[in-house]
This record gives sequence, structure tokens and C-alpha cells, in this order.
Amino acid sequence: MNARMDTTDACDLRFGQVGIACVRVRRVDAAALAEELERRVRAAPQLFSRAAVVLDLSHLLDLPDDGTVDALLEAVRSAGMLPVGLAYGTSETEALSRRMGLPLIAKFRAAYEPASGGSIAPPAPAEPAPAPAPRSEPILFDAAPGNSLGAQYHDGTVRSGQQIYARDRDLVITGAVANGAEVIADGSIHIYGGLRGRAMAGAQGDTKARIYVSDFRAELVAIAGHYRVFEQIPKDLEGQSVQCWLEGEKLLIAKL
Amino acid sequence: MTAEIIVVTSGKGGVGKTTTSASLATGLAIAGKKVAVIDFDVGLRNLDLIMGCERRVVYDFVNVVHGEATLKQALIKDKRYETLYVLAASQTRDKDALTQEGVEKVLDGLSEEGFDYVVCDSPAGIEKGAHLAMYFADHAVVVVNPEVSSVRDSDRILGLLASKTRRAERGDSAIKQHLLLTRYNPARVAVGEMLSVKDVEDILGINVVGVIPESENVLAASNSGVPVILDENSFAGQAYSDTVARILGEERALRFLDVQKKGFFQRVFGG
Repeated sequence: MNARMDTTDACDLRFGQVGIACVRVRRVDAAALAEELERRVRAAPQLFSRAAVVLDLSHLLDLPDDGTVDALLEAVRSAGMLPVGLAYGTSETEALSRRMGLPLIAKFRAAYEPASGGSIAPPAPAEPAPAPAPRSEPILFDAAPGNSLGAQYHDGTVRSGQQIYARDRDLVITGAVANGAEVIADGSIHIYGGLRGRAMAGAQGDTKARIYVSDFRAELVAIAGHYRVFEQIPKDLEGQSVQCWLEGEKLLIAKL
Repeated sequence: MTAEIIVVTSGKGGVGKTTTSASLATGLAIAGKKVAVIDFDVGLRNLDLIMGCERRVVYDFVNVVHGEATLKQALIKDKRYETLYVLAASQTRDKDALTQEGVEKVLDGLSEEGFDYVVCDSPAGIEKGAHLAMYFADHAVVVVNPEVSSVRDSDRILGLLASKTRRAERGDSAIKQHLLLTRYNPARVAVGEMLSVKDVEDILGINVVGVIPESENVLAASNSGVPVILDENSFAGQAYSDTVARILGEERALRFLDVQKKGFFQRVFGG
């Protein structure tokens, strides 16, 4: 999806994919938001300090007024993160993003969509916001090359109701993933215990991502938005070590 | 000397938390420990019935939390064992009547009174009451029945124990988790109607501390207000005794896992 390049132009315009954190606001309380985010930044400064984030207001009952949104954005900044846009919500959010002069990141939660929705294609907004970043896929900026983060490790079992997300990298789980647990990675996923829950690789659209499982009993596997649910686990795969990969539009699973 | 706090929890209701709390507390008292057992199920108090002290409840847990009564006034001394005390829940209030500070105050008070163990009988669910019951715990006894929904809920609880407790928040050593399988029926396991001990251990990734066989004696004991651990003739009572010994560090083999051989008459006439 690279834009056409012309070396005589003053610049190149490239589309790339980068992971970006989403601050989902649960209640309108700027002070509490700042405090919570500060705690996160302190806990993992390398990950969160000066990290670009988008503000998701879709979980609030009513969209707050402009002054309140300004306060929320300021709270994010004061915590040490850099708000770069608003997450897609309704046409009201879109109007708000125009007034704020911020880009609207369409359908930000694409990473979680495959489970319920299906494809990661976003809805087409009525007309483009005055945003520098075009919006089609989750988020588009020039991907910083050579910024390898290595894999994220999780020791032991992922319990029902828990969710683990490896941003911009592979995820390695040494234990099992229980029914009702969810493991998500922008890269590949390696599970050395049983997979009874859900695994979603290539959450930002990487179709090369794969999933490796040493004891396969999954509820759902997905790669780059293409998913398969298992009401019945095929007898020839149940309990086997398998890998899942994408061939074109098709999600394939085979014994290792 | 601080009291060891044990939470008895499960997520799912009706799996045997209160029965287990009563027997565990009684078993620890038999072993000579000073024990208090607290009913966290405010609004649906049951523990006092199982312990057989329901007519002696004057002040309850909520009264102490709100400073309307002292611990001494609210603790009900067991008639059978003098180192065993019950702190009943309030039937007329709801879970919001409990506060984290209030619960902490009560637990600290019990430590000061020289209690060795405090057993917290958690309500079902993962909401406030259950959260407060587990928050201060050092040990957790996760009660699970050999069926899939109970196993999944227990899995959720194990996850919460590892993340939403004071030990987890402070980064102290992890809560000691004990998995207790109750209502186990070897005959139904044999025909594939129930999960086996191994199935449950495999799914949850931890070993059981005890297996309590399904038994009519449990219901009978509950109805008469006697913790089933005191029924030495019942398999369930013996299995609880084994479990308490294991929690105290003793090694004991699991019993009552195999199908009972039926006698000749039972085979002929069915039974």
C-alpha cells in the first residue's frame, strides 16, 4: 500500500503501520485520568513515556463538551504521553475532532474486531477530517524501521478473563491460555502450553504473522483479521501441536 | 504474630464454599489453632446455620466494620471447640456495607487478639463482597466442582487472586493457592459424566489439595448445624480432615477417588 513515489517531489508520502496505544476514557475525571496514566508511565517508562496515544471517548455515555475534552487531553499530556488524535466514535466525535484540530483515527479498535465483527475494514466516514494522516487501516504513519523490540514473554498460565497484548512484537506464552482468555500480538504468537481460549496474531494487519501452539484446543484463532472459530475442534488437530498461517484470504492450520 | 488469612472462594455459587469454610475452620481448631471464620456473604448469611450458632448472633461483621460493636461482642464462641469463633454476616444489609478499611480493621483486630487463622467465607461472584474477602488473603482455597462452568469460573478467580489482591499489588510473594475439588462422584467420572481429578488439574494447571466425595452426609450435617468434618463416619468428613492436614503441611494420599464396589444385593437389585 505504498503511495507512488516521485524523487523530484519535495517529500515522499508513505503509508506504514505503527502500533499506538488507545486511552479509553471510562469516566470524565481529568485528575483521575492523569493519575492513572502517570502510574502507567512510571511502571513502564520505556513503553509509555512520550508514547503517541489516541483518546477513545466512545465508552462515555455522553460526549463531553470541548472544554472537558481539552482538560482530558491536557491530563494525558501532563502524565507524559502525547495525544495525537481521537478514536472513531460517532459523527459527533468527528465534529469534535474538527473543532479540536485533531485527526480522527477511524475504527481504532480493529485489533479486537475479528472476534465479533470479522474483517478489519473500517467504515467510510462521511467526509475526511482535516487530518494529516489518512485513515483506512488502524493507524497510518511512517513505520520506524530497525526498531526491533524483541518478543514479549508471559510466564505461566493466562487465566480466564485475562487479556495480554504484545504491541509491535511477537508474544511468547510459556503456560496455557484458558477458556475465555485472550492473547493478542501485532507479530506472531507462540504458546507452549494448551490454547483453550483465543489467540489473535497480526493484530495491526500483518498477514505474515503466525500462531504456534503446542496443545491445540482453541476457541478462536485469527491472523490479520481473518479468523476461525471452533465450535468443535477437528479431531485430527485436537491436542496436537499446530501452526496457523494465512494464505491469501484463507486461514490455514496444520499439525507441526 | 499476625494471623494467616485464608479465603475460601470459587466464583460460582453453590459449589460448597460455606461447607468448606465451616469444616476448614473446625479442622484447624481441632488441630489446636485459634481460628475465626468470617461470613463475607452480607445479605445472604448462611455460615452461622452451618456452624449451628444462628440463634446466638447478636452483633455481626457489618456492626464491627461500622464501629457499632466491638470484635469481642460480635465473635461467637463455638460450643464444641473453645478456640473456634464465628463472625456472622448481616442478613439485613448488602455488600456495600463493607469497606476495605473496615475489613482491614477487623482482620488487624483478630491478629491482635492472637488468632492463628482467619477463614474468610467469600460470597459467589467477583464483585465487591468477593473482592474484599480475597483482598487481604495469604492463602486461597478455590472450591471447584467437576463440571466445566465451575472450572472456568475458578480459572477466573485464580487470575484475580494473582492480580487483584494486596499481595499482588504490593509485589509480595504470591498467595498460596489450594484447589479443592468437591462433590466428586467417582461413578459418574467413570462413565464420563463428570470431569476427573486429572482433567481439572490439567485445565487449571494446579494440583488439588483435596477431593471431597459427593455425599448425603454433607446435606444432613448442614441441616443439623454440624460441620461435616465432625462426621467421622462419612467419607466427606474424612476427606476434609485430610485436606486440613495437607493445608497444615502434612503429606496424605488422596482417598475416595475410585468407584465403590457394589455388594451382591446391590448388584442384583440395583442401587
